[in-house]
Amino acid sequence: MRDDHLVGLLAVFVPFSLISIGGGISVLSGIQHEIVAVRGWLTAQDFVQLFAISRAAPGPGTMIATLIGWQISGWLGAVVATLAFFLPSSLLCYGVFRLSNAHREKAWHRAVRQGLAPVGTGLVISSVIAILQLSDGGPLTLLLAALSAIVVVVAPRVPVPLYLLCGAGLAVLYHTAMP
Amino acid sequence: MAEALPARSSDSASVRTDDNPSVSLSTLFLACLKLGLLSFGGGLSGWVYQDFVVRRRWISDEDFASSFAMGQMLPGGNVANLVVCLGEQLRGPLGAATAVFGLLVGPFFAVIAMATLIGSIPQTQLLDIALGGAAATAIGFLINLCWRGVRRESGNPAMLGIIAAVVIGVGVLKLHLLLVTLFVAPISIAIAWRRGNKDA
Repeated sequence: MRDDHLVGLLAVFVPFSLISIGGGISVLSGIQHEIVAVRGWLTAQDFVQLFAISRAAPGPGTMIATLIGWQISGWLGAVVATLAFFLPSSLLCYGVFRLSNAHREKAWHRAVRQGLAPVGTGLVISSVIAILQLSDGGPLTLLLAALSAIVVVVAPRVPVPLYLLCGAGLAVLYHTAMP
Repeated sequence: MAEALPARSSDSASVRTDDNPSVSLSTLFLACLKLGLLSFGGGLSGWVYQDFVVRRRWISDEDFASSFAMGQMLPGGNVANLVVCLGEQLRGPLGAATAVFGLLVGPFFAVIAMATLIGSIPQTQLLDIALGGAAATAIGFLINLCWRGVRRESGNPAMLGIIAAVVIGVGVLKLHLLLVTLFVAPISIAIAWRRGNKDA
């Protein structure tokens, strides 16, 4: 049973590692679909909570992979999920960097770079749509997301934990004020 | 090791500068460990630039820029890819492995510690509401990322079309992500290729 989960974690995270153009966040909707809908390992609510925790913790935004592995299979699951999500893309990056570094001034190199950028942007927008549909918090969720998007542009240097704390506080205030 | 190294910008002609003897693996590890542990949300690339290029002068401006572009266009976390490229330039394969391990090992334990702390608090409705609020706030960072991506292509109707095609395929119609990417990416690269040739 446990082994099945570890193999399953590999089967989910290795492919997503290799297609996560635009950063790990771009495949968040895909991971959510696999973990929640296809395999039923976590509920949608669990997934959103893990996302919030991973954003509040330090490090790259995609440490949610570690948390998913940990939640499903403990420490071993956390190690397997982290390696499965970060190792394949790192190896690929390493190989491509060594091979193509000599060609970086060439036109094809620039075309690939510029062509992949909007694809990455589209994937991130899709992830936002998926998370908003998941979170099921009504107008308050939309309001807080929009508000924080504005604040992050105006004051990019505010520490993130402070941010999330304010969001949590506002949500509690809203619910106490109008039950 | 006897002579002091000259300013790094002077040797930008040499593409690869691996096995740079002035940077030990342990120094590289500690630098990445600090980056990983002290970085709260986004903007991490700017911090890497400040530390590796401006402060420590390990990497030239030009090498940083090309590594950054590479990290963005390939799959994988942008910052993880970035430190892989920088580590390779500093100390070869072992440097790349050291850098990415250093970046991830701190957050690995931090994120589990955070989940444990939250899990040990008895679940109440209020906690659910608070976590929901925090999650909604976190979505704002992603919206900012989207906004910057769209603005970058704002003078470029074809590329805006590419963004829209991906959003409709993956975000709205929920088609398989890999399928959509493999279909749209070649078209997008072809557009960029033709535009590049026209400019030249």
